[in-house]
Amino acid sequence: MHPAIRTDHLTKRYGPLLALDDLDLTVTAGEVFGFLGPNGAGKSTTIRLLLGLARPTAGQAWIFGTPAADVATAHQRIAYVPADVTLWPQLTGAEILELLGATGPGVDVAYRDELVARFALDLSKPGRAYSTGNRQKVALVAAFATRAPLLVLDEPTAGLDPLMEREFRRAVVEASDAGSTVFLSSHQLAEVEAVCDRVGILRAGRLVDVATITELRRLHRTEVLVRFAGPAPELTGVEGIDGVQVDGAALRFALTGPPGPALRALAAADVTTLTMREPTLEEIFLDYYGESGR
Amino acid sequence: MSTTGSVDGGTAGAAVTRLALRQVRRGALGMSGLAAGTTAIVVAGYEATAGTALDAAALAALAENPAVRTLFGEPFALDTPGGFTVWRTGTVLAVLLSVWGVLATARITRGEEESGRWDLLLAGRLAVPAVLGRHLAVLCVAVVSAGAATGVVLVAAGTPPAGAVRYSGGLALVALFAVSTALLSAQVMPTRAGASGLALAVLGVGLLARMVGDGVAALGWLRWLSPYGLLALTRPYHEDRLLPLLVLAGAAVVPGAAALVLARRRDVRAGLVAAPTGRQPRRWLLGTVEEFAVRRMLRPLAGWSAGIGAYFLLIGLLASSMTRFLSDNPRFAELAGQAGFTELGSVRGYTSSLFVLLAVPVGIFVVVRLAEFVAAETDGRLTSLYAQPVSRSRLLTAETLATLAGVAALLTVAAMATWLGTYLVNAPLPLPAALAGTWNVLPVVLLCLGAGLLALGWLPRATAAVGASPAVGGFLLQVLADSADLPGWVSVISPFTHLAAVPAESPGWTASLVMVGIAVVAAALGRFGHRRRDLLG
Repeated sequence: MHPAIRTDHLTKRYGPLLALDDLDLTVTAGEVFGFLGPNGAGKSTTIRLLLGLARPTAGQAWIFGTPAADVATAHQRIAYVPADVTLWPQLTGAEILELLGATGPGVDVAYRDELVARFALDLSKPGRAYSTGNRQKVALVAAFATRAPLLVLDEPTAGLDPLMEREFRRAVVEASDAGSTVFLSSHQLAEVEAVCDRVGILRAGRLVDVATITELRRLHRTEVLVRFAGPAPELTGVEGIDGVQVDGAALRFALTGPPGPALRALAAADVTTLTMREPTLEEIFLDYYGESGR
Repeated sequence: MSTTGSVDGGTAGAAVTRLALRQVRRGALGMSGLAAGTTAIVVAGYEATAGTALDAAALAALAENPAVRTLFGEPFALDTPGGFTVWRTGTVLAVLLSVWGVLATARITRGEEESGRWDLLLAGRLAVPAVLGRHLAVLCVAVVSAGAATGVVLVAAGTPPAGAVRYSGGLALVALFAVSTALLSAQVMPTRAGASGLALAVLGVGLLARMVGDGVAALGWLRWLSPYGLLALTRPYHEDRLLPLLVLAGAAVVPGAAALVLARRRDVRAGLVAAPTGRQPRRWLLGTVEEFAVRRMLRPLAGWSAGIGAYFLLIGLLASSMTRFLSDNPRFAELAGQAGFTELGSVRGYTSSLFVLLAVPVGIFVVVRLAEFVAAETDGRLTSLYAQPVSRSRLLTAETLATLAGVAALLTVAAMATWLGTYLVNAPLPLPAALAGTWNVLPVVLLCLGAGLLALGWLPRATAAVGASPAVGGFLLQVLADSADLPGWVSVISPFTHLAAVPAESPGWTASLVMVGIAVVAAALGRFGHRRRDLLG
């Protein structure tokens, strides 16, 4: 079985700007893949290349084994929600859904009606009268209603309120349960954390890491808070421990990698409580990009 | 407020003025150059034309032809370089300047507001009337410069300053009327297309009123109601009247002032006419990309059909006044025959010289459709269709075929309107002859389509300019070549030179096939480029 998405040395230059550098990525069928990176890292460029909207400078991409450039075939299995949805101003929401349903890879009308109700979408308005969030809802309903094997979503919740974001997550889970692959580019790290199996992290056009969220956490620093009675445990030089702060009968440090050596060092002390907090995706994200951004 | 670095109102206003200036400077320079250049070539070539092709008497007789009058207006002082230049280029330049004025005004005011870019601007310290006022001022300077450039050329060529001032002032005032009407319609209509459509309709009615007034003596007063008519009534280099200019100035000031007053009474992004907030879905023509291309074209096509239909109905209605003129002036047919205008006197000859003109509006229709396709790609409206399981070639083919169907409709409407007009005044032109005449311009329209597609594939932002060049550039070249003593190759590159006067003559099949061949090659190259390039936006 072909992977949902495969890229091989995919590269895109815009004049002197290297927007995407030698991307090798495989997204297996059925997984929910989060695509992270700061603004300008190349996320939208990657998506435009995957959809055949832009032509690669070098390398190639395949959608379920079909070259991405063969859009008439590849798009039979794709539904797409762009980051910035522009609707035909004179068509109403209902007419836009009709057009996209009729020209698209297929449509589950009953599910579409259900999504319209769940997203509380007023379909009688013309496109020009929709707010940013409502334009996005039209595009999301159209995409999910296709039941396409691959959903490519580029920052789909940027304009949604928290209630609608919850509906979005439900729809992603439903799509995933039905066997669809979801490729989700997002800045909403809580959302990626909630729905994604794996994430790819892009920085300045290069893929710096691909891992499950659990793996990412393990690779990153866990914050440990230890309260103790008696003398403070001796942690100097212990493997994986960093930034020790002693505050009376409490001690705080950051742990990277396996916890064994740290636990052995703590065993010698009279520990009363031990709290370990895993890093949020946001903290991991900031670790990758630091203060300087990209 | 006295914090350091605060910006006073004057600086904010100057920033808005600079913004408006940046958005129109290129077009304004182009318009000034076009107005001055055309005028210079015609006035310089006057001696050659008047001296060799026709003597003054022949020229005067030719100018008495209602067909020619319908086109270029009532002729005066054709025996002077100034009078001849005004007659030959006045209407064309007035129409070009005013249409540019409308499109530029709608683009930089309602267009910017509709796109939401003015939200940021209007969140600053300037209110809508102040921002509009500054845009209006910049547009006024732009069109007045074009008028002034014409005047400078005419004075430099040695024509009497009084006539040059009347004429160039009149040109500028017609364009000012267009700008201020467009500004008013931009307050009324909530969309750019609606605003420019309404203002262009006003100009179109004005042009028709001028033509009827010039062609039918009893309705001469209609010209007082039209900006183009008022310009003609000034009669530069002949009577140098002032009253029509004063009326025109008043007509130009009123809509602009009304626009600034009305701007206070509306919300940002809204027009006085509210956009409908909801309606029942109309599901027809949404099933395939081909159907959708047709659906998007229908409304503009209705507008173009109405305009072109009205123009050619008028042409048909004027046919009888022309035949009457001929029976009164037997000398005319003789003169025209000597000058190579065979059969200009007959209904067929008269209509065929006007059918050739049809290539310009229909060519522009084609280019506007292609430019709209590029605009939809750039602003992301087409993204959802490009993401469907539909190849790029099929989308472009759908758009091309829909446009061709629109062309067929427009050519047929023009023929039927002419036929109806001639039928009503008892100077019948058979419908097949009318259809042969209008469809004869198809090769030039196809050249526009081919050039537009070529640009769409390789240089999409230049689609409108490149696509319009065969029709608009070719027509201007031919006008210049007719009026001035230009080298032969200049007129050879204009497609109009190769267009036979159908139905007076039989169609020039060879030239037509060559033009169609060039168009097909250009279109194929354009489609190849479109398939390979990155999409915009």
